[in-house]
Amino acid sequence: MRNLIYCFSILIVLASCTKVIDVDLNDTDPKFVMEANYTAEDSTVRVKLSLTTSYFDNEPQATLDNLVVIITDHLGNPTQVPFIGNGSYELTNYIPNFNTDYTMTVQYEGVTYTAVSRMNPPVQLLPIVYEYYPPFFGLEAGYITFLRFNDPPGIQNQYIIVMSLNHVEEKNLTDFYLQSDELSDGNLVERPLFRENPFQIGDTVGLELRSMDRGVYDYFSEILSIAGGQSSAAPANPKSNWDNKGLGYFSAYSNSRIEVVIE
Amino acid sequence: MKFYNAFLFSLISFLSVGQNFTISGTIKDATNGEDVYGAVVMIKELENVGTTTNSYGFYSLTLSQGEYTIVYRSTGFETQELKINLNQNISQNLELKIPADVLEIQEVSVNAVKENNNITSSEMNVTRFDPKSIETIPVLFGEKDILKTLQLTPGVKTAGEGNSGFYVRGGGADQNLILLDEAPVYNASHLLGFFSVFNSDAIKDVSLYKSGIPAEFGSRASSVVDVKMREGNNKKFNASGGIGLISSRLTLEAPIVKDKGSFIISGRRTYADLFLGLSKQDIPDNTKLFFYDLNAKANYRISEKDRIYLSGYFGRDKFALGSDFGFNWGNATGTLRWNRIINQKLFSNTSLVFSHFDYEFTIGEGDDGFGISSSIQDWNVKQDFTYYINSNNTMKMGVNGIHHTFKPGALTGENESFNEIKLDSRYAIELGVFIQNETKFGSRWNLMYGLRYSGFDYLGGPKVFEFDEDGNTTSTENTDRWKTVKYYHGLEPRLSASFIISENNSVKLGYNRIFQYLHQLSNSTTSSPTDNWVPSSNNVKPQIADQIALGYYQNLNKNMFKISTEIYYKFLQNQIDYRNGADLFLNDEVEGDLVYGTGRAFGFELQVEKVKGKFTGWISYTISRSLRKFDQINEGIEFPARQDRIHDLSVVLMYRFNKALAASASFIYYTGSAVTFPSGKYQVAGEYVPYYTERNGYRMPDYHRLDVGLTWYMKERKRFDHSLNVSVYNVYARENAYAISFQEDPEDPSKTQAVQTTLFKLIPSITYNFKFK
Repeated sequence: MRNLIYCFSILIVLASCTKVIDVDLNDTDPKFVMEANYTAEDSTVRVKLSLTTSYFDNEPQATLDNLVVIITDHLGNPTQVPFIGNGSYELTNYIPNFNTDYTMTVQYEGVTYTAVSRMNPPVQLLPIVYEYYPPFFGLEAGYITFLRFNDPPGIQNQYIIVMSLNHVEEKNLTDFYLQSDELSDGNLVERPLFRENPFQIGDTVGLELRSMDRGVYDYFSEILSIAGGQSSAAPANPKSNWDNKGLGYFSAYSNSRIEVVIE
Repeated sequence: MKFYNAFLFSLISFLSVGQNFTISGTIKDATNGEDVYGAVVMIKELENVGTTTNSYGFYSLTLSQGEYTIVYRSTGFETQELKINLNQNISQNLELKIPADVLEIQEVSVNAVKENNNITSSEMNVTRFDPKSIETIPVLFGEKDILKTLQLTPGVKTAGEGNSGFYVRGGGADQNLILLDEAPVYNASHLLGFFSVFNSDAIKDVSLYKSGIPAEFGSRASSVVDVKMREGNNKKFNASGGIGLISSRLTLEAPIVKDKGSFIISGRRTYADLFLGLSKQDIPDNTKLFFYDLNAKANYRISEKDRIYLSGYFGRDKFALGSDFGFNWGNATGTLRWNRIINQKLFSNTSLVFSHFDYEFTIGEGDDGFGISSSIQDWNVKQDFTYYINSNNTMKMGVNGIHHTFKPGALTGENESFNEIKLDSRYAIELGVFIQNETKFGSRWNLMYGLRYSGFDYLGGPKVFEFDEDGNTTSTENTDRWKTVKYYHGLEPRLSASFIISENNSVKLGYNRIFQYLHQLSNSTTSSPTDNWVPSSNNVKPQIADQIALGYYQNLNKNMFKISTEIYYKFLQNQIDYRNGADLFLNDEVEGDLVYGTGRAFGFELQVEKVKGKFTGWISYTISRSLRKFDQINEGIEFPARQDRIHDLSVVLMYRFNKALAASASFIYYTGSAVTFPSGKYQVAGEYVPYYTERNGYRMPDYHRLDVGLTWYMKERKRFDHSLNVSVYNVYARENAYAISFQEDPEDPSKTQAVQTTLFKLIPSITYNFKFK
């Protein structure tokens, strides 16, 4: 909905113009950032540990190596996630139990950071349909695909959708589509996935439907509102599932995938 | 308690008056028969004795027996004097004439009533003007806009570039009570804020109260903007209108029965969508983007003592992209009034007021379509009395009750992906009872003091929610339609006092306490029609504002220059903000996303006006702060509110070369608003996101702009007048920052940048106005 209003504002301010400017920003002490994913599809836990950097700094973020990262299942069994280099940690062959909570802890400078995420079961995608759209407000003509799936009734579900074009995944933050079932619980969901560059004949389009933990879904919904230049009146850091003011998130998720060739 | 005893005592003391007679009547404009509001009625022989007409043109003065010269005076009219021998009660109606030579009345002022009324009245610096007096001030797209003119006065700040939303003395945009013929207007802007809903052609008078607010007004914490519609010409038929770049206007007015009743209908429609075709973008057929306004009013004098008024406003914005997407919203208000002159000293007004605002989205059509809608609706019954006790005391009292219906949102449609949802309607009753007296002590002291009792009976919806400290729902209870869920009430003392040092200078003091029971939820930078109003409830407490203001006023050079200075301090309780990631849209449990804190605002305002001569205008300057404090925001440390702009300067100049030509210019400068910028960044899912430390810890760049305009009054004919107005907005094409966003460099995702958006650079416009008379 916000996007529709945004669209509407753009229409009004067709006469507006933009330019890159210099802004003098204060620097803050580097803060601890933990980006952790546990993917059911390949039974792998991936963690990236780093520090924040100044906003206009063009150097990559400093990474943190050789910290102790532990994942614990709902029965309380801890497993260490081994360091693999360059701030990355990875644990493979870690078999998921759906509908259970996983806890991750990281120790850094004497503080133990903890986050909990629920591993929800996958929801199956239905075959993709697509439709031709004529040129629209500066967007070129082409095909738009529809997300289709049956939402499981009676339980709260929330999803992140990742698209791929000719087997190249568009898995950056601002490429994500978010979907929750607050307005569509238990329904056959059919939603057009609008994009800047619509698909053309011959393209292979893939969709991935990730079943997310509620808290992590909210985190992404909040962070999308401050990423990509969208400005809210009072932007703030999203609520993370890490305690002790840790930045980032810990997400356990499962997924389903489907593909179609536009003809 | 002492205060209330003193209050009662002073009320009783009025009853001890001697053998006096009353002169009363109604003052009208001789050209069109409309009531003259705020005309001064003075006694030449007596110092500091006089009154002003109320909004229905009525006045009443009680004096001891004697011979007097009564002086009737109002801005833009010839002053009239009348000798009377007051040995019985006299009923004296009067028509004031407009001088033949328009240049003689170059008193173009936002504060002009009596030449030195700004000095002698007890009211603090009430900003009042007639839309005609500001018609030459240059404006965006040539659309005269009373709310934008108010923004050029001290203490009033614009909500943003070209925006008709405003902040008064550090208060929020929802803390302004905007009344159109007594009906509250819930969303006073069109096209996301670029135009106000007030069509100047239909407006007679605008008054802004920002301190020492009279007890007759309540329910908004910061200010009252009281807009009065014209009644229409009751002497002969008139048609007037204007053709502009983006809109056209037409007003028709005529007597129903000559000198007894009249009507006015005024309409306006924009056609901005026609320009969409010129854009290079591919735009679907059947794309609409317009708004319209319709003001209508009729009045009829049933008897010498009774008069009925019926007025209404209907406005709507429509936006559609073919059949894919539609968005429309609008206000409707209606006011039915009955004036009765009960006797020469007692004036009564009874009103039934209706106000409605709603918005609706439609997406898709047929089987795929769905719609979202929301509304707020009021029914208000009011009874006011004005009792003209004697020449030193005028008492007002009244009572009103409002029934509010809130429909926070509903999603309906054929689209099978969505379940229909309908957030439950919520209801409330708001009460107000007030008594107020305006009194004079000797020749130096004027005092207006009053007390308002306000109550708010939250009746809830079918479900009543309770939340814990983190905003999680702890209980959901069912309740009956007319059962009180929560009752809030409070006493609101009001005071304004003036001490007249001489006829050229005075000192004034104002205090008011106001409870605000309705709150508008908004977390976007622009005002949006989707910003819902929510009532105070078991979770949301009423906002309370206390304000004290002190002013010094000086007139120079035979009232040619008026200088006013005021300082104020305002304390706000139960201010509302949002938790991070609050979902304000279609959320039944939105109250769980709100957090509460306090605010304070203080400042100094200076205005120098030149009100007479060929050259008129004013300079206004404000230095002020507005701060907020919330436990859950900014780690509990006080932070600047968005409307915290330290310096604010407006210069408005108007020059009348001759009968045919008038020029004007306005210059605006203000410190950039407080804003939150990042102090660091980190990557999430492969992209840089900003890291924020403090709320509103930065400033937007300073804003400044110059507008100029030229009005050519073409040769006047007996039955036809016309004029042409040319104006340029932002003459030197300053690139003012509308927004600054922080994002990845699209060309190099490893870098980040700040991008400034500018809206309007050098916008010329032309408007042609005409009048058949």
